[in-house]
Amino acid sequence: MHASESRLISSYLEVLAAQLPASIVEELADGLAETHRFYLRQGLAPERAAESAVAEFGEPEAIVAGFTRVNPARRAASRLLGIGPAVGACWAAALITGRAWGVPLPARILLGLALITCIGLLAAAALGRGYRLAARTGVAGCIGMTALDLVLITGVTFAVTSVTWVTVAAMAASIAVTARALRPALAR
Amino acid sequence: MRAEELKGHLDAVLLAALEGGPRHGYAVIEALRQSTAGRLDLPTGTIYPALRRLEQAGLITGSWSVVGGRRRREYQLTAAGVRALSGRRADWRDFSAIVTAALEDRACMRPNPA
Repeated sequence: MHASESRLISSYLEVLAAQLPASIVEELADGLAETHRFYLRQGLAPERAAESAVAEFGEPEAIVAGFTRVNPARRAASRLLGIGPAVGACWAAALITGRAWGVPLPARILLGLALITCIGLLAAAALGRGYRLAARTGVAGCIGMTALDLVLITGVTFAVTSVTWVTVAAMAASIAVTARALRPALAR
Repeated sequence: MRAEELKGHLDAVLLAALEGGPRHGYAVIEALRQSTAGRLDLPTGTIYPALRRLEQAGLITGSWSVVGGRRRREYQLTAAGVRALSGRRADWRDFSAIVTAALEDRACMRPNPA
């Protein structure tokens, strides 16, 4: 590859590498090299071919936005935020029907704060623009929700006076939803 | 045709480009150029996220190889992808036939004699 076009393509890839994982950048680098070769075969000078290849690829911001939209952690976070209220309603019903009033106030405050933090992380993943931000906050939010589920399930098992079908339904819904979200969120 | 006009049909178009066998991202773009005689004008960079999305959906699988010292990711249709493409083709034929009939029905353009 000619030095001048190499600089243009390299700087383009550097912009992408600052925001996307290495495996994605490697794939894009291969595609960009092939696009460059296509324009060389069309008879363009190396520098002009590099400019055309970069122009054909489009704005780096658009590429990053495209990959951010399909980020597995972001999609898992969106799913959790979408179905979360239904699971929360199941838990509310389970706690009311199970008469779990005995939970100490500090524990309730702690659980509330943990829930708000997890929702904040999931919202940042679902709405944020950066790929890495979406990946990190999405994974953290999904792990946090899973931990919260485990704490709730363990706590309710000991705190409620009688385990009703509502409690069982809340536990099942909770485990199913978070497990379904956690797997793709951790996928690379 | 521009990318925004293809919205909603990009997945089917990409699956069709992979029907002939495994292809890497740029080969998919070349296949689309050839099959549409260059009339499909997609920013190359938008193809790659779409391929990842199809992979996450289980419609294609990706695998790495090394070509000319560069790592290359190739994609191929899964069984679910073949079924999805077949379904999308049938849907498109129905949709296309309905819209064509509606747009080209000259009887609609004639004034009502009554």
